Amino acid sequence: MKPITNSWAEPYKMKMVELIKMTTPAQRKKALKEAGYNTFLLKSEDVYIDLLTDSGTSAMSDRQWAGMMLGDEAYAGSKNYYHLEDVVKEIYGYKYLIPTHQGRGAENILSKILIKKGDIVPGNMYFTTTRLHQELAGGRFEDVVIDEAHDPENEFPFKGNVDLIKLDKLVKKYGASKIPYVSIATSVNMAGGQPISMQNLKDLRAFTKKYNIRIIHDMTRVAENAYFIQQKEKGFSNKSVREIVKEICSYTDGATMSAKKDALVNIGGFMTTNEWEVFEEARNMVVVYEGLHTYGGLAGRDMEAMAIGISESVDDDHIRARVGQVIYLGEKMINYGIPIVKPIGGHGIFVDAKKFLPHLSQDDFPAQTLAAEIYLDSGVRTMERGIVSAGRKPNGDNYYPKLELVRFTIPRRVYTQAHMDVIAESTLRVYGRREKIKGLKMVYEPKYLRFFQARFAKI
Amino acid sequence: MQTIIEPFRIKSVEPIYFNTREERIHNLKKAHYNLFLLNSKDVLIDLLTDSGTSAMSAEQWAGIMRGDESYAGSPSYFRFENAVQDITGMPVVIPTHQGRASEKILFNILGGKGKYIISNTLFDTTRANIEYTGAVGKDFLCPEGKIPSLNAPFKGNADISAMENFITITGAENIPLCIITVTNNSGGGQPVSMQNLKEVKKLCNKYKIPIFIDACRFAENSYFIKKREPGYENISVKEIAREMFSLADGCTMSAKKDAFANIGGFIAMRNENLAKECRNLLVITEGFPTYGGLAGRDLEAIAIGLYEVMEENYLQYRIRSIEYLCNKLLDHNIPVMQPAGGHAVYLDGKAFMSHIPVEQYPAQALACALYIDGGIRGVEIGSLMFGKYNEAKSLIPAPLELVRLAIPRRVYTQSHIDYVAEVIIETFKKRKEFPGLKIIEEAPLLRHFTAKLETLNP
Repeated sequence: MKPITNSWAEPYKMKMVELIKMTTPAQRKKALKEAGYNTFLLKSEDVYIDLLTDSGTSAMSDRQWAGMMLGDEAYAGSKNYYHLEDVVKEIYGYKYLIPTHQGRGAENILSKILIKKGDIVPGNMYFTTTRLHQELAGGRFEDVVIDEAHDPENEFPFKGNVDLIKLDKLVKKYGASKIPYVSIATSVNMAGGQPISMQNLKDLRAFTKKYNIRIIHDMTRVAENAYFIQQKEKGFSNKSVREIVKEICSYTDGATMSAKKDALVNIGGFMTTNEWEVFEEARNMVVVYEGLHTYGGLAGRDMEAMAIGISESVDDDHIRARVGQVIYLGEKMINYGIPIVKPIGGHGIFVDAKKFLPHLSQDDFPAQTLAAEIYLDSGVRTMERGIVSAGRKPNGDNYYPKLELVRFTIPRRVYTQAHMDVIAESTLRVYGRREKIKGLKMVYEPKYLRFFQARFAKI
Repeated sequence: MQTIIEPFRIKSVEPIYFNTREERIHNLKKAHYNLFLLNSKDVLIDLLTDSGTSAMSAEQWAGIMRGDESYAGSPSYFRFENAVQDITGMPVVIPTHQGRASEKILFNILGGKGKYIISNTLFDTTRANIEYTGAVGKDFLCPEGKIPSLNAPFKGNADISAMENFITITGAENIPLCIITVTNNSGGGQPVSMQNLKEVKKLCNKYKIPIFIDACRFAENSYFIKKREPGYENISVKEIAREMFSLADGCTMSAKKDAFANIGGFIAMRNENLAKECRNLLVITEGFPTYGGLAGRDLEAIAIGLYEVMEENYLQYRIRSIEYLCNKLLDHNIPVMQPAGGHAVYLDGKAFMSHIPVEQYPAQALACALYIDGGIRGVEIGSLMFGKYNEAKSLIPAPLELVRLAIPRRVYTQSHIDYVAEVIIETFKKRKEFPGLKIIEEAPLLRHFTAKLETLNP
């Protein structure tokens, strides 16, 4: 990868700002206790720098805000829908579009249509909501990501790749008819925002074609993945991110999209497919869950902002600055000796909590503990991506994921270089006193997606 | 009659694109005689729905700019929660991306095979969500509500004795919920009286059945109570609304109606255990409990809109403008539902298109005629929306064949409304020229949204 020095300077300037509140250590201690040591349950007012997620937290551009004023709020046939449809076809190349209020709405519908009871859904690492929808539709997720993805130290550039041998074994074991699709995420979130290579996608396409299995694309960070291909994969350095994005999509048969990430909006998502029959079924189903198929539970203005955001998201300068900022923070942490997932991913820094707090067992929730400690130190809000997020198997046992991470997700176009410095310095301070940190125990556990609402107490 | 002017002026406008009758005939054919499939730019006056189509106020737009988009614990959420708690008196508030999502969550928990959900009248998406779980929705509308031409003050009331009869036959243990829709949308936007709500509560208390209010148009209903029910003349709309909510155990709301929002909804309730179950489902399909699938800015707009809608000057203007259109049509002997409802004028399709039998969807034919003649888009609320088939595959028609002309809030002027009246009067004169329709393609649930139709030879 080309060294990134100061060249990631933002291709935009600020037009509107949002004030943030500074808090004292005593206030943070109280707020954290009230939130049951779960950063999700903190009030955002009590947060100084909010790295909980890059989902829905982007700053929209002035053009997107102008688009918000052009919202056509007609219940049926809004012109914003047609604009969005054109953009999705042009940039991503998929044939049919169903808008949804956000990504999980699309996952819900697609899983219900494609998965039958007893089906197996292989994928390049699980994601919380995606796997849950697969399970609720009667399927079972099987991880086919390459082993390197589970090793935070391994610097392989495309840790989002699929291990075709693992996939082949699954096909042989269960038969292709039991596999409705392979679920492929670009920029694999749970692996630390790690990309999949174009070559791997091509090989996967050839493999699935042989067995007549679909590839469904979780495309929420496809532009970030495309940027890594441009930077790291042979033969792509002269191609634009826009071209690469379209090529990625061309190897897949449909997609679910949370537009709250790459596409720079605060709300919105969609499902796409190249199959007419799937589209027809989805159109009937979206009315029940989301809204009529020409608005999908979104205001017209949000479809307009999404259409404009998608176009902005594939701009080379935008992506260079976006990923450049993440790498800036990551390199700072590496220089401080803080254990993070390598190579640095596209949307955030993933701190290795097992290495950071080696004296805690996984049942003491090391990543949850570390996220709480970082908040306490500086008001920076991060998120657990370890045993709490992994949840329980359908039989009730805990999943024990190999990775126990704290995610520092960087919202797009929101924070400055000075904010990045504060984050790195705070993490360093916590690292300095890591040996004194004690773990947590879970005192309330919700049934689904427990990481959102679980409560903890200090051991 | 004294002129009622709008208690606001226009701050931002949106162009309307004019087209010719020939273009509209072509557009309609392309949309398979289903107005839901028209492009909105091909519509002159869009009365398809009052849902999500309101003009927001400058205050609401300011709220949009103030929206805090934090994923969890946004102050916009807390402002929203406070507003809902203040108005409903219910402690638990759960945001959703819109009304049907609230319903889906609630019925997933309370519905299921063998269950019956009773109501004054359930709306189309509500019924679809109930049926999707395997449960059955049962309407018990008061007798006067079933006669379009009859003028009565509270035609949305529930028929208490019929309800009780059903409960005793079916067994209260099979009835997990009673839903009272205010105002009663499918029944013509007709209000429910406080007295009737009290009787429903007494009945449901006796059989321990929880009551939820479908509160989409709670302010319009409250205003009708103030105007029509003895004893409420001097009570504020907010107090009336609070009294209504005090009689229920919970409510679902599509904020796209009486909160002037373009998107959004919520569930509110008193029972914390039920709320926990709701939140468990919420995170799967909607979003985290402090945003529920909405942008922070939308929570702000709803919080502000909920108060604006209870302004009496606004409600007076709102209800009077519907009455204005209704009276204009009555003057020309057009068959309309009486008295005027809160959010829409309902044309009686069966009487209007008396030459078209119910099997040929007279109300849909009328909706198509109004589009062809004037570019007006209304919606059929009749056998296309609610019709079912018996075992012999022949149509079981809906009790009423209506065309709803829903008036978006704060969007159209009096000139627009005058134009609408003129078009309807003209269409009425030559109504015999318009043929009936048949369905050539339909979905198993909520077929009216996507069905394709063809004209029959007149």
